[in-house]
Amino acid sequence: MSAVDFSDPATIAFLAAALQAAGVDGIEIEQSTRKVRIVVERDAPGAAPLVQTLQTSPGATQLEVVTAPMAGIFGANHPESPAPSSKPPRKVAAGETLGFIRIGSVLLPVKATQPGMLTGRVAKDGTVVGYGDPLFEIELRP
Amino acid sequence: MIEIVDTGPFNTIQDLGRPGYRNIGVTASGAMDPLALKIANLLVGNDEGDAAIEVQTFPFRLRFRETTVFAVTGGGNATLDGVALPPWWMQTAGAGQCLELRPSPASARAYIAFGGGVDVPPVMGSRSTSLRGAFGGIDGRFLKKDDTLRLGEPAGTLPADGLGAVPPAKALAEFFPNAPDGTLLIRALPAGEHDLFGADAERFWSQSWKISSQSDRTGYRLSGEPVRLPASVEMRSYGIVPGVVQVPPGGEPIVQMSDANTAGGYPKIAGVLEADLWRLGQARIGSRLHFVRSSHAEARALDRALADYVEDVRNTSQMVARALKTIAGR
Repeated sequence: MSAVDFSDPATIAFLAAALQAAGVDGIEIEQSTRKVRIVVERDAPGAAPLVQTLQTSPGATQLEVVTAPMAGIFGANHPESPAPSSKPPRKVAAGETLGFIRIGSVLLPVKATQPGMLTGRVAKDGTVVGYGDPLFEIELRP
Repeated sequence: MIEIVDTGPFNTIQDLGRPGYRNIGVTASGAMDPLALKIANLLVGNDEGDAAIEVQTFPFRLRFRETTVFAVTGGGNATLDGVALPPWWMQTAGAGQCLELRPSPASARAYIAFGGGVDVPPVMGSRSTSLRGAFGGIDGRFLKKDDTLRLGEPAGTLPADGLGAVPPAKALAEFFPNAPDGTLLIRALPAGEHDLFGADAERFWSQSWKISSQSDRTGYRLSGEPVRLPASVEMRSYGIVPGVVQVPPGGEPIVQMSDANTAGGYPKIAGVLEADLWRLGQARIGSRLHFVRSSHAEARALDRALADYVEDVRNTSQMVARALKTIAGR
């Protein structure tokens, strides 16, 4: 996904017009390094929108939380390989299998959504987790 | 379409075999580990008895010519373009990707199933390769480098991130125990000539037997302290099914396996429970086994446990696929 440049006034103007056309009062957009808030005046078409830009420091790390794809019993290791996978923190690739959700005799993989540094395991082995429960934390290094 | 990139000898196309023709001398053939074959098929959405590849010599490599759903079960350490797959696992491969299987220490045979199954013409109701009969599979022979295999029409959508089954050795551990030293415990019932062995019959049950190098899909020759008949018996030939344990004059038993002859004349000392044949099918040459005297009641209980496991994999994998599709769609 290519990032939209919110420092470009044309982009802001385009978005403001779109918001007004849709009857939306405002929008907040978060990117890895900045947060943009655009508020439009509903009753004053053509008026300059209020734009706030919040710059987050470029070196800051973002935390990606990997959640359970389905309800079941969580385990970081495959039931047939009891050897624990190397402890966090460790580097992980996007799509790498981090753990498993067991549903009866079936296993679903829990995969890293983005590359980064696996810093923590939130859920304990053998616990029942629900859909969307946080399981792992990955620090995304810009 | 898939393409065999690299294979050792004796890797064949197998399904659940062609029983029902033994009366005319046709060996049933079929997977040595029928449980692994069924689970591989169910994971890719096939019928449990569709044709798959049985790999017993490694390394084995194949290339996918198009996007293909596949599963690897049984033994063998599998990698897709170098990335390791968990055991008993289903995944989707892209065109050009290469699946490699290396031997695993615990199990002798791996099964690779594909969405839609391997499409070779059935012979007498089965796609299994009969190496001795030279029919079934691809012209009745084992797979060779550069063979291409056509696949059937895959069923429905499957989880894009892949999915696996808890291996039966784990899921059914309470029903299929091993000795603390790792010796395989194989349950069997005394057969027709068991009592004729007199005191030697006890030695059949009490010692651990080694699976000799003269073992293949036809049968396993065991080595150990011989058991012999006190007096020779004259016998008529009788029908043989996998699991029959015969004792030739040398006194070292033979366990008949998937490619068993249809008839034989050696005295039979025992019959292995059908529920334990899949474990025997995964036993490696050089490993040890111990026969455990069983009962019909235990045989029925084990059959039920296996059937429940297969049903659970079938139903739960389908339920999970449907649920993930619903989640993805909202």
